[in-house]
Amino acid sequence: MISSDQAVIELRKVQKKYTQDIVTLEGADLSIQKGEFVFLTGPSGAGKSTLLRMLYKAEEPTKGSIIIDGVDLSSLSRSQIPLLRRKVGVIFQDFKLLYNKSVFENVALSLEVLGLKKSQLATRVKQVIEGVGLADKLHRKVVQLSGGEQQRVAIARAVVNRPPIILADEPTGNLDRKRTMEVVALMEELNARGATIIFATHDDALFQNTYRRVLQLRNGKIEEV
Amino acid sequence: MPLGIIFKRALRDIRQNLVTHVMTTIVVALTCLVFVFFSVFSINLQRVADRFGKELAIVVYLKKDLAQEKIPSLYQKIVSMDGIENVKFVSSEEAFKRLEGYFKDEKEILEGVDPLFLPPSFEIQINRAVYNPGRVRSIASTLSTWPEVQKVQYGKEWVDRLESFSEAVRAAVMASAVLLLVTAAFVVSNTIKLTVYARQDEIEIMRLVGATNGFIQGPFLLASFFQGVSGSLAALVVGLFCYEYVINIIGQTGLIRSLSLQFLPLPYMAVVVLISGIFCMAGTAMALRRFLKL
Repeated sequence: MISSDQAVIELRKVQKKYTQDIVTLEGADLSIQKGEFVFLTGPSGAGKSTLLRMLYKAEEPTKGSIIIDGVDLSSLSRSQIPLLRRKVGVIFQDFKLLYNKSVFENVALSLEVLGLKKSQLATRVKQVIEGVGLADKLHRKVVQLSGGEQQRVAIARAVVNRPPIILADEPTGNLDRKRTMEVVALMEELNARGATIIFATHDDALFQNTYRRVLQLRNGKIEEV
Repeated sequence: MPLGIIFKRALRDIRQNLVTHVMTTIVVALTCLVFVFFSVFSINLQRVADRFGKELAIVVYLKKDLAQEKIPSLYQKIVSMDGIENVKFVSSEEAFKRLEGYFKDEKEILEGVDPLFLPPSFEIQINRAVYNPGRVRSIASTLSTWPEVQKVQYGKEWVDRLESFSEAVRAAVMASAVLLLVTAAFVVSNTIKLTVYARQDEIEIMRLVGATNGFIQGPFLLASFFQGVSGSLAALVVGLFCYEYVINIIGQTGLIRSLSLQFLPLPYMAVVVLISGIFCMAGTAMALRRFLKL
């Protein structure tokens, strides 16, 4: 286990058990430092998504503790969960977009929940949409976009409020090679600006020649590759 | 969370689900309309009861052998009582004259009857400002204890019946108010629940990007408040039109005109609108609490 005072994400002996037979994590330890970019890999069903879901408190561990930015998640009350989620930007495997709304509206949602008015958030939203290469599709409904474009909308929404932590759950799962590399480059750029990133993927090609840390989920444990 | 943003989101939600919102408002309006009809009936019944009650006089029959010189002091004693508007002394002779007037063409019936056979009496009018049936009863029972008094009459049974009927109607109106408002709240909360079902994905996404419960619930609560308020306002407008229509038809007779019926008073209407809004909002809050597991 790597541990440091700079750790922004820590798992201590985390167990996640759905039933007696279905155990996803068994005494998993992990420490990710501020500004790190790590790949999280493992076969389908290994528990990558479950691990990420626990990091933004969509699921609770059966045992052990999870500490984000120095705060033990088990100590958070219901009303404090939104505050955690504003610090953690999540890119979902299935995008989780509002398909009947425009690109702008989808991305703006992350700032609207902070209580910002449309006039206050418009500039920032447009900048981020431009950053993911969708400036010409600002007012297009999401349903009219291709899979790759939808993925980029999901990324824009996750980063628009500049969260210090970004969790990407198979963000390239539905993309071709070219689009995949674009997404990776985008994530690298966000990391270069200071965001701590966990990039979950089962695509070995993405991290074969990387200098980044690669973590593998195997038999309920997290191992360094 | 600024109220302005919640307000705008609520308006946007209403615009996007206009048909559902209009249908719900109509149901709330119909529910409130039943209550408005009950209320108009109850309030006017109370007015009629009060009016007839106020016009009832207490008649105090004095003992026949009462000395004439005692009458002025007795008169003063009655006038000085609380809540007395007017006191009139009716002598035995005058009472006999009234009886003759009543028989008109058949005066012969009274031939040979002693003109002094009727007891002298006082006719007492109660002050309208302080009138209530309980007050009439209390004055009458005080008077009946005086030694000079033979009997006191004040249409006791009539007043009592009217009073108890009026109270029963008022209780029925209150019970129906609670029942109908609960129904309205139930309808609104169920509509909001359907809207929540339909927008489950959006709510989930809002939660994942850090929306607070207030941000998620606020527009729903405000929309249900709008529905409660606009539904009850519509009911009052329709109720007023119906009332005017009926009064135009039946109000031509002198009797109805003399009753001076009225629609609901303004403060009463304001309370109906406010309570309807609050009930609808409370029903929605409970439904959201269960549904969103807040």
